[in-house]
Amino acid sequence: MRPLTEDETKVFFEKLTKYIGNNVLHLIDRSDETYYFRLHNDKVYYVSDSMLRQAVSIGRDQLASLGVCFGKFTKSKKFKLHITALDYLAQYAKYKLWIKPNGEGSFLYGNHILKAHLGRITEDTPEHQGVIIYSMSDIPLGFGVTARSMVEIRKLKPTDIVTFHQADIGEYLREQDTLF
Amino acid sequence: MDVSAQLEAQKSKYKSINVEKQVPLQFDLGLLAGFDVNALEENKLKVETDNYLKSYTRDGTQLLINEIFRLPLTSVQDVGVVAELPKIVTAIPREKPLPKPKPPTRWERFAKLKGIKKNKKSRLIYDERRGEWVPRWGYKGTNDDGANEWLNEARHRRNIEEVEIDASQQLNSAQPQLKSKVNAKVLKKTELRRQITMAKTSTASLGKFDKPVKGEPSNTKGAKRKFESNLGDIQKEKEARLSILNKIIDKKGEILNVRKAIAKNNQQN
Repeated sequence: MRPLTEDETKVFFEKLTKYIGNNVLHLIDRSDETYYFRLHNDKVYYVSDSMLRQAVSIGRDQLASLGVCFGKFTKSKKFKLHITALDYLAQYAKYKLWIKPNGEGSFLYGNHILKAHLGRITEDTPEHQGVIIYSMSDIPLGFGVTARSMVEIRKLKPTDIVTFHQADIGEYLREQDTLF
Repeated sequence: MDVSAQLEAQKSKYKSINVEKQVPLQFDLGLLAGFDVNALEENKLKVETDNYLKSYTRDGTQLLINEIFRLPLTSVQDVGVVAELPKIVTAIPREKPLPKPKPPTRWERFAKLKGIKKNKKSRLIYDERRGEWVPRWGYKGTNDDGANEWLNEARHRRNIEEVEIDASQQLNSAQPQLKSKVNAKVLKKTELRRQITMAKTSTASLGKFDKPVKGEPSNTKGAKRKFESNLGDIQKEKEARLSILNKIIDKKGEILNVRKAIAKNNQQN
């Protein structure tokens, strides 16, 4: 377990700002207790100060997971955001997308979101913007990247892809072994 | 104390240890065997078979034991009285026939033809220089390529000038002229890389602050990665993170969505 290096932090924050913009500030600068980002086995964990102090005494091989796993660094040092970060992303989301009930199932199985499934979307979402996806009852379902900007979405056919799937809560079942 | 009476009583229980035989038995005590050639009594054999055979066996065994007791006896601790058996006299036939000689293998025939003999090398040889017997190979052996010598002549390394001359000659000539079996292409590449590294680090700050060229692998030779402590200074870490974040956000450009602001403004008015 170690803190992230500057390069790693940069890559990680860039990924985060894609989804929550400058609200990353709220993750770093918290009022109740200081939370840290720590790297362990190529995974980034968001952990409170008190928990960190306890986790330090567990050996490297014995420590499985700590706090909240935000994602992991791949072998080529790219950062992949996992669904386990959804709670925090949903809180501080900048751009949101609501899908209709008929689209929920498809998305939760890992498919991209088509225009037919699209319910609502925040205004002026640019292209290739990270969005958090909610059901119509405001339950966060996952996140994705927009394929087109708001303006262009209006002109799309119902079967065209609107948002690329990045992570969904169905992964808690599908990717049990690799998530944490 | 007179125990002779009890002894007599005891003795009378058993038959006599002296046995009379017409022809004395042959003994091979090495095999613990006795060979009896006396004829069996036919009528006794027919009438009272079991008893006769039993007494006959008993007699033979008694004679054998008598013979054993005639051997030199010694007394061994914890075991008792022990007799030393002589060597086996009887010739016992072979269990299996003699093995047939195997035909010589292909190598054996060849070696015989050429007169090749197997020379087993000894582990130690006499080292003239050191003046003692040392192993031929291994620890403190003579096989170590001069690793522990205080002075070694440079034998294998080619001089840089020779390499450069060769490289330039290759450009001019059709056939590459190599001094040894080294691959010219590989040599040129390695030398070039060396030259690049040397040029890079021959600036005033040893090439640390040069702009990295895109796609060039950074030379991390000898660089040990250093990480911050896990439970370091909270404030410092927070500030560092915030500064990184601010840099990213600034790079991203406008936080303020101008179009949206204008639209809202228009709405309000």
